[in-house]
Amino acid sequence: MFVAKSIAVDHKDLIHDVSYDFHGRRMATCSSDQTVKVWEQGDDGTWHCTASWKTHSGSVWRVTWAHPEFGQVLATCSFDRTAAVWEKEAGQNHWLKRTSLVDSRTSVTDVKFAPKHMGLQLATSSADGIIRIYEAVDVMNLSNWSLQHEFNCHMGCSCLTWNTSRVHPPLIAMGSDDPNPSGGPKVKLYEYSEVQRKWNKVEALSVVSDAVHDIQFAPNVGRSYHLLAVASKELYIFSLKPYRKDPASNPQGNKFEIRQAGMFDCHDSQVWRVSWNVIGTILVSSGADGCVRMWKANYLGNWKCISELKGDGTPGEGHAAVAQNNQPPGTLAANGSMGANNNSSSSNAIRPPVPMNLKRNTGWPWMDIKKDSFKLFY
Amino acid sequence: MASERESEEISVPLPSSEDASLQATWGLGNQLFVYAADRRPAKDTNGEGSDMGHTQSYDILDLRWGQDMHGPTTRKLINESHSVFVMLQGQVTSLSGSALYNQLKEASRQYRSIAKACSLELQLLMSNTVDEGEREYYGNQVELLETMQIIWSLCEILFIDIAPGEMVLVQLLNWVRWHFSAGREMAQDVINDEIPEEHPAYWEAIFRLLLQGEIERVRKLLSLHSCSQTQPFTSVEELLKKMPQWGNLRTVSLAEFDLKWRHWREECMRRYEEGHFTAFAELERVVQVLCGDMLVFSELKDYCETWYHLLISRLLYQNPTVRPTDLAFHVQACMEEFQRAGHRMGHVDNILQAALEFDLHQVIKDSSTSLGDRSWWFGAHLTDILHHCGQIDSQKLPFGSNLREYLLLEYVAGLMSHHSLWQVGVDYLDHCPVFGKEHMKLYIENLPLDSERKANKLIHICEERDLLEQVQSICKIMGVRCSQDGRLGSALSWFLRSKDVPAATRLTEKFLQDYKENGNFSHLDLLDHMGPTMLLTQQLTFLGKYREFHRMYQEKDLKGAASLLLSMLTARAAPRHFWVTLLMDALPLLETPQVILGTSQTYELMHCLEELTQDLTRNTPTSTTPSRASSTPTPQSAGTGVTAAGSSQILSQRDLEKLKLLRLALCRNLSRSIVHEGTIVPL
Repeated sequence: MFVAKSIAVDHKDLIHDVSYDFHGRRMATCSSDQTVKVWEQGDDGTWHCTASWKTHSGSVWRVTWAHPEFGQVLATCSFDRTAAVWEKEAGQNHWLKRTSLVDSRTSVTDVKFAPKHMGLQLATSSADGIIRIYEAVDVMNLSNWSLQHEFNCHMGCSCLTWNTSRVHPPLIAMGSDDPNPSGGPKVKLYEYSEVQRKWNKVEALSVVSDAVHDIQFAPNVGRSYHLLAVASKELYIFSLKPYRKDPASNPQGNKFEIRQAGMFDCHDSQVWRVSWNVIGTILVSSGADGCVRMWKANYLGNWKCISELKGDGTPGEGHAAVAQNNQPPGTLAANGSMGANNNSSSSNAIRPPVPMNLKRNTGWPWMDIKKDSFKLFY
Repeated sequence: MASERESEEISVPLPSSEDASLQATWGLGNQLFVYAADRRPAKDTNGEGSDMGHTQSYDILDLRWGQDMHGPTTRKLINESHSVFVMLQGQVTSLSGSALYNQLKEASRQYRSIAKACSLELQLLMSNTVDEGEREYYGNQVELLETMQIIWSLCEILFIDIAPGEMVLVQLLNWVRWHFSAGREMAQDVINDEIPEEHPAYWEAIFRLLLQGEIERVRKLLSLHSCSQTQPFTSVEELLKKMPQWGNLRTVSLAEFDLKWRHWREECMRRYEEGHFTAFAELERVVQVLCGDMLVFSELKDYCETWYHLLISRLLYQNPTVRPTDLAFHVQACMEEFQRAGHRMGHVDNILQAALEFDLHQVIKDSSTSLGDRSWWFGAHLTDILHHCGQIDSQKLPFGSNLREYLLLEYVAGLMSHHSLWQVGVDYLDHCPVFGKEHMKLYIENLPLDSERKANKLIHICEERDLLEQVQSICKIMGVRCSQDGRLGSALSWFLRSKDVPAATRLTEKFLQDYKENGNFSHLDLLDHMGPTMLLTQQLTFLGKYREFHRMYQEKDLKGAASLLLSMLTARAAPRHFWVTLLMDALPLLETPQVILGTSQTYELMHCLEELTQDLTRNTPTSTTPSRASSTPTPQSAGTGVTAAGSSQILSQRDLEKLKLLRLALCRNLSRSIVHEGTIVPL
């Protein structure tokens, strides 16, 4: 059974990213209205906005949380050609800008923190194709970040993702939204070489020739291979198995045995976003057809769509109006003052849970066993 | 229904207009944030903000599922089956052979009884509620649980508790009797009636009982008939009495039983053909049933309610010694019987059919798809038992243990979304040999640390499983959080626990700074009970020692305090910027009426004072380094930065005054101690 709760986020423009912290108690949203909002979940399960502030002078594309070991830290990237690191002030609901990373000369399209075991590192991708990796000089003082590495992918970057495996060398996959299908592969993999102290291109996925909008490695749960989801014209799921390390014959680092675990032409034309659950067993994708689909592998490793979410066409304005009407007058007043970068916990216009008229969720992907072909169903 | 299961479609209350499409981000567990976002790729939008006329506010939908598991009744189901599961896993490793086999059978029964208890409780809730929606909800839940029990019991009979001698029908009869009780209830009504034979359900009760092989009860009902002493009735009574019962004949072999049964049936046939019963049409039908007449079963099929009941009833009177593997041959006919009458076969029918056809894989697969949110509970536990029984090991199914673990992990995924059931999930993960540990690590990293208690619980769990990295991480997170909230004492104790040197050093500095500013210590209890943990960093050791000095001073152990102070200075354990404070602390010791510091100790102190002032007067970066190198014989890896920073401080005028005062006090003390010790004897 699905239960839905609506959260009136009250961004003045389109939401570009919603990011969830590691413990699932906080959420950050960013929007074209140049602001970021931070939300906290109360004990009763409702979400309250605890901070809302203007972060950039352009659309904010992405917002992402650092591991809680480093405190409450956010990174954002924007059309205004910068990325920024924000930290919550101790004991306050203010977020302080710790640094502004201004190296890019074009829009910064994505920002991602490295997995925790690599320390506090940050990768940004920019529209001119350069990926930069920064590291906090002192994790106790986040105002000082040094640019550690910089490499050019030779095509506009739209997204990047870190591989989370601890046992393998650091690995980044990037995607390009270059619209030219003959411009070569749109997904490239870069691996860090400890010996050379630099990032080397190790693979390019030539299957993907259309613009890539999002890319994400699945959390590695002790698999011998990595899973990479790519949102392009189709939805791709790749499994990348590192070959046995042999430094002598392979000075460029590991190459991968790449298998296409799934390719789905499902969202009519374009897939915009992909997102894995915490254990990397279910993938959600969203695309131009307005649907959100969930994908799951059975125990034989076959990926199938298990459910599909569609908007019921509730018009945006009317919907928002309903949310507003449900608000007690007191909160409305607080809502009005929220635009001015305050930190009141307002905007709690969350309506009671609506049990939806849905079919049971099975979560079990179908599988092809010979048996099925002659089994009768009624 | 299509041969392939379609993915389900869900509509959510969000706009689905031309320029906005849905996007989604995963939350924790079974939770998605769905929101409307731009249809166009990010690059094309005008970055300069809201000049596109978007005035509406966009909502985010917090979407959760699988919450059925979280009701109070179901939690009982989860918790009780958890203890059975854990116990069983222990027995699997410690027992073997028939002892283990008995435990497996026992566990299977326990799971079923837990489900039964849960279903009864839900029924009670259902009868107590007046709300129509709730009633329907409970009704569905009860139905699901009952379905699970039907499937489970059949699987238990066929795969787990396998009857010796292949006489499977006795168990199957019990199975049918257990799940279809309408006949017995009806019979009770009839018996309670004043004139039983005129009760409208008199014959129906008889047939229902007969179809379940409840011979004793049938005889009882027949004896209540007013004509029970007539010849046709006594004849039936005799036949029923003579009917061979496997239970009574445990000593005979299957072949012997079969022979006895054939004799009995021939007699039934003979009496029927002789027309003993034509006077009573209903009685004649009873005998037709006894004879195993095909037609009469079709007529009575509505009393069986389902095809599988019909199957068992027919086998009872046609082929009671049927072998388990032959069951499948009779399935189709019974199903068709019902299909002709317009019944549609549902999921449950397919699952039971698969079970009777010994297609375990299909059973598990279908029950996992069609039993709602509790399907993982069902699949995981049943598969676990079947796995230990060797029914789905790798020889029989190419992915045997895989399948078990897959189902267990799915079950755990549901538990982990819950704010307290995650603890149950942890125990299940322990029994997933391949991915259990890695999944655990990921879950632990993502479990919210709402309170110190929960953090400690998690740490305990991690320590038990040797997940030291996770322990460290939790301590660090808690420490960072505490220091953010200004609770420095708790923060320090968390950092000490995680042996986090840089963070602890930083906090210690903060403590010392606080002391320098306020002149007293906070978090005394923590500092007083650090014990050997204070050796983690040099700063911390110093802090601990310094606190000890204060305690000795307060306890009037002036001698001890003085020598401790001296040793802190001479061992260069104190950070240089703290030396002024330390030396000033020596002042009261020098001014006491009795002599505390001896000559050599006073010399030492003077030496330190001189060193400090020299350091401060030659206060250029080039000169501090060599002087420090010469004055610090011990390597100061952790404290180097701090010391350098501290010594570069320029002393305030007030400090200089203080030092002058100290110099004077030292001189006075020196002269006193010389006299006191008599080291220089006056000539």
